[in-house]
Amino acid sequence: MPATDVHQHLWPEPLLALLAARDETPRLRRGGDGWRLELAGEAAAAFDTRAHDPAARADVAAGDGIDRVLVAPSSPLGIESLPVAEAQPLLDAFHAGVLELGGPFMPWGSLALAAAEPAAVDALLDLGAAGLCLPGAALTSPARLDAIGPVLERLAQRRAPLFVHPGPAPAGDSALPAWWPPMTSYVAEMQAAWLAWAEWGRPAHPTLKVVWAMLAGCAPLQAERLAARGGPAGAVHDAHAWFDVSSYGPHAVDAMLRVVGVDRLVLGSDRPIADPPALASLGPAVRHAVSKANPARLFDAQP
Amino acid sequence: MPNRDLDQGELEQLVQDLAAQPERWRHLVQHRPDERTYAELHRDEHVAIWLICWMDDHDTGYHDHDLSAGAVAVTAGAVREERLVLGGAPAARTANAGEAFTFGPADIHRVSHVGGEPAVTIHAYSPPLWRMGQYSISPSGVLRRRAVSYADELRPLD
Repeated sequence: MPATDVHQHLWPEPLLALLAARDETPRLRRGGDGWRLELAGEAAAAFDTRAHDPAARADVAAGDGIDRVLVAPSSPLGIESLPVAEAQPLLDAFHAGVLELGGPFMPWGSLALAAAEPAAVDALLDLGAAGLCLPGAALTSPARLDAIGPVLERLAQRRAPLFVHPGPAPAGDSALPAWWPPMTSYVAEMQAAWLAWAEWGRPAHPTLKVVWAMLAGCAPLQAERLAARGGPAGAVHDAHAWFDVSSYGPHAVDAMLRVVGVDRLVLGSDRPIADPPALASLGPAVRHAVSKANPARLFDAQP
Repeated sequence: MPNRDLDQGELEQLVQDLAAQPERWRHLVQHRPDERTYAELHRDEHVAIWLICWMDDHDTGYHDHDLSAGAVAVTAGAVREERLVLGGAPAARTANAGEAFTFGPADIHRVSHVGGEPAVTIHAYSPPLWRMGQYSISPSGVLRRRAVSYADELRPLD
């Protein structure tokens, strides 16, 4: 039973080269003090290429006791929403680059939202993607769920999971600190996506396996309020949902464990953005469940 | 089921009703000599229900259920429940197929397979288990409690 981290980011060399060659955001620029990443909605930030060195990252995974690393596209870059002609080469470079690395790395598939068709899902899965990653904003209304519906249907037919990750932050004040978008727009987007899935997505796709990054912004902890307001609070007991614990710690994970149960939690670290959560205080059985037993049911269980 | 936490009598009725409907859980019965096996049958805001399969030597050790009450129905084989007694032999009883027992949040007990035929039990906890206490007794008789997640009770390691 392999220990699995369902949520890391690693930009392979071909993707770095393409981002450095772009004229518009998202792009990489070399400055006097090293590389900087420029995004539309966030302040330009120093970009350490060493954090994306595959050999070093494989060593880090081994040090974490991880046998399988699922590499997600960096949806906050907004690549999925670019015009198809711009998005596709970047996404192709990401998929091919991660696949070329081989073990322990394996990509989540990603597609240009303007060309999101079932055939693209087949192509990604046939290529070797673990499933499909979508930005949360692709799910946050009935119209958006309808638009992406045929893609989700094909994913469910192929028994492959969907990974929901925060997308780009809306354009903001560049003086805001780097933690501002992750604590505001990312959390709000994940909560809205989870609520929209509870109300419209799950009824339309009853068997699709869905993995929520960052505990879905702790949306299930709002279940009592959701019930008080007449919403679909029973969605916290969705047997086809998993929540990755990335960027949280023992307090939030313990609270989620109380609400959704330990079976629903999986290890995600969000490396190199964050370190894996320190969950030792929850005991070895939790570690085993989130890193081995639950990912095995998510990815490896026979239908 | 009522939209509130259940008391011990209601939990006993619940597990006995489920025990009488083997078509709802028979396909999940799986015995392994090295560990108990578990399957979650139901979970909602107020109650969580598991099927547990036991073989020789399987033993939970002394534990409590923190905030939860519970009930256990035996559908095959037999299990022994022991309540911890300071300075004396534990208060023990055996539950055979067709029987059930209950416990409250304040109770400290251990459950073990009695040997022979593999056992199958149905457990309901209300509110759903969250944290638990595991007890150990040192050679000098000092009783210690360690707080653990419910996963330590229901999710065995490799």
